[in-house]
Amino acid sequence: MTDLLDVDGPAAPPRSNGELVFDAPWEARVFGLAAAVVETRFDGDREPFRQRLIAAIAADPERPYWESWAVALEDLVTTTGLLPTGAVDAAVAGRNPSHS
Amino acid sequence: MSEDHHNPTPPSPIEQRVAALEELLTERGYVPEGFIEDVNRAYENDIGPMNGAKVVARAWTDPEYKARLLTDGTAAIAELGFGGPEGHYMKVVENTADVHNVVVCTLCSCYPWPVLGLPPKWYKDAPYRSRMVREPRALLAEMGCPLDDDVEIRVWDSSADARYLVLPARPGGTEGLSEDELVGLVTRDSMIGVARL
Repeated sequence: MTDLLDVDGPAAPPRSNGELVFDAPWEARVFGLAAAVVETRFDGDREPFRQRLIAAIAADPERPYWESWAVALEDLVTTTGLLPTGAVDAAVAGRNPSHS
Repeated sequence: MSEDHHNPTPPSPIEQRVAALEELLTERGYVPEGFIEDVNRAYENDIGPMNGAKVVARAWTDPEYKARLLTDGTAAIAELGFGGPEGHYMKVVENTADVHNVVVCTLCSCYPWPVLGLPPKWYKDAPYRSRMVREPRALLAEMGCPLDDDVEIRVWDSSADARYLVLPARPGGTEGLSEDELVGLVTRDSMIGVARL
């Protein structure tokens, strides 16, 4: 299985976890989600994701690590055409119809 | 320390976004069934604090191993197959009835990654790093680990040269447990020294 986590450097993990690794379930989901996409669509090559993660962290260093991780994943899947641009916004709106 | 409240508040924007992303990617077949669970399990079990827990349980059950562990942590931990980056010089410090050890990294966030997995967020935060040195007894009490006044607290400052692992005291009433069963009792926090078992 591809190892997505840098030990150190700009994309090194959060140094954040609940009892084991993560503070909240969604963080574990988005971590596994990136691992799945890297495995199934990039043949295990983590570099395209990693570069986006580094960029996402650099773009907003104060943002929590796993949120940058989510931004990087979304960027990866939209810029490589795996998901159409705006698909995530539309899906979020669809999940949450009472909010404008 | 738990931040898992199981409360009924609606999902945060980021939770919703990640859920939407997961749904879309799964629909398109990019996420094999069970993949996320498998990845998480691998991280939790293989490179999480389980390795440290195995070291502790071995030390509890094998006095000779414990002696080696306290003399040369790096070598004794390597005996169990753990080591590598961020664990290359390990010093193990033993908790007793009279002495409580706790680990901090005042400069950054040095952490014995190969035995404890990913460090918790608070370990890296400035309040923990400064207060554990200045007022360890008060901070430990706040973190749910109150100590009697006659227990000596030793604070170990991790650095690039030395990473510390606390060997917690074996809980009473565990004489009949196997080594594997003991592993399950050892928590990450007890090996950082912010909890006693």
